[in-house]
Amino acid sequence: MRRAGRARSILSSAGSFILPLLLLCAIWELVSRSGLVKPVLLPPPSKVLPRIITLAATPTEGGGSLLLEHVLTSLYRLGLGFCAGGLGGILLGLAMGSNRFVNGYFNPIVSILMPVPGITWTPILVLVLGFGDPTLIAVTFIASFFPVVCNTASGVRSVKKELIWAARVMGAGRASLFLKVFLPSSAPHILAGLKLGLAAGWRTLIAVEMIASALWGLGYMIFDAKEYLRTDTIYAGIIVMAVIYAVMEKAAFGFVEKKTIEKWGVVSEIA
Amino acid sequence: MPSKTPSLRVREAVVFALPLASLIVIWQLVASLDLIRILPFPADVGRTLVNLCRPTRGGTPILLAHLGASLFRVGIGFSLAMAVGVPVGLLMGINKHVNDLLHPVLSLLMPVPTLAWVPMLLILWGLGDRTIVAAIFLGGFFSIAYNTAGGVRGIDRDLIRAAYTMGASKWTLFSRVLLPGSMVSVLTGLRLAVGYSWRALVGAEMLAAAGWGLGYLVFAARAFSAANVMFAGLIVIMVAGYLMERYLVGPLEKRTVQRWGVVRA
Repeated sequence: MRRAGRARSILSSAGSFILPLLLLCAIWELVSRSGLVKPVLLPPPSKVLPRIITLAATPTEGGGSLLLEHVLTSLYRLGLGFCAGGLGGILLGLAMGSNRFVNGYFNPIVSILMPVPGITWTPILVLVLGFGDPTLIAVTFIASFFPVVCNTASGVRSVKKELIWAARVMGAGRASLFLKVFLPSSAPHILAGLKLGLAAGWRTLIAVEMIASALWGLGYMIFDAKEYLRTDTIYAGIIVMAVIYAVMEKAAFGFVEKKTIEKWGVVSEIA
Repeated sequence: MPSKTPSLRVREAVVFALPLASLIVIWQLVASLDLIRILPFPADVGRTLVNLCRPTRGGTPILLAHLGASLFRVGIGFSLAMAVGVPVGLLMGINKHVNDLLHPVLSLLMPVPTLAWVPMLLILWGLGDRTIVAAIFLGGFFSIAYNTAGGVRGIDRDLIRAAYTMGASKWTLFSRVLLPGSMVSVLTGLRLAVGYSWRALVGAEMLAAAGWGLGYLVFAARAFSAANVMFAGLIVIMVAGYLMERYLVGPLEKRTVQRWGVVRA
């Protein structure tokens, strides 16, 4: 019984999400066909959605799928940049959160570097590392690093004093204090930081793929399509980006959250 | 907040500046050891900064012209995002049907990187201010609308019922309950949007600027391998971003939500 009810609620929530999108597609199709806007500026969804399939079916020189190759290249760069940024950010954030001197030194540096858009580093890094993956990955790293540092540090600092005292009284050593108190109770902050870092890395990567004219990647794909006025490819690329990000955020982070902070009981439910 | 004595202020400034100074020392060291091929000396970058600030024949210093172009674009783009985003968000918060309709659309479009719209805008308007301002608008709009809607929806039902019971009209309810109640969230959205707009600006200027703007300055300098100019531009972007964050967003928060007592000062 409960399962049936749950299935129905999932179905209805999916419906309430998809229906407006269908409506949007319908309006888009109508506007596009009505001739109010030049067809090249707003190709109808009935052309854009098949374009995704065409792009996926187009073979590359190596025999793979063109779209898949662009997607995988972007994800590879994002993966490396984000992992390095996330790891570095967590380490520095933990150090800043738990040590006053480390915090005193790095806080001004982080707070002045953080508002710098990651993209700004692109021209400089191009001079040092040249066009290509190292530059793209480095910029993604910079972009995802700062949100993680900030959130981790503030997460560690927000651990309740009582918890620390209680652990100390019960004879917890430094290591167990860190592993059993600091890490679990700052985990929600760290995860929030990682989410922001992923978003920042993703945005920046797409931008850099356009600016540093890499030969592969979703950013390059849509920027190159502009040269040939392939607006259907541009819209197709935008849709693919939206879907990829939604999957990354919902599937990957949802899973990690369930396995860590929800299981540890630090938060009851992630909104 | 207790008022700060002058000596405390000086101490705070020193504590803040010391790590930055040490960073410059490290920079100098790395540059003199020639560890990174193109890294210019801090002094050279400083000289370039000063040179860029000197008035040219046209009258305005070059750097000021670039900065002015960028601030102008951000100002317009952000104001537009606010002027559209806040009403859309309020409407979504007040009316359930509007929310049901727009929420899925917004949550699908929000994660699309702002600069992904630039190729389309370039086809539409070509290089120039319109494209850049539109990118800035798109950068700010989503977080403003999303947070405003969330703020209105998050208001305690009891407050609304209480206001109704005391005979509040729709307008009073809006201006005395819904607006102040959602203000914390609206400001969060605006704050995020300042960051996003600034980011969108620099990126869009690299892709679409014709001649002026900080992003363009840094980007164009690469063509001449003018590392001095790139670092000078980077420093200006850094300082401007920091000042904006500190003196635009902070005071706004103090004037509104802290005075209304929605959050504790």
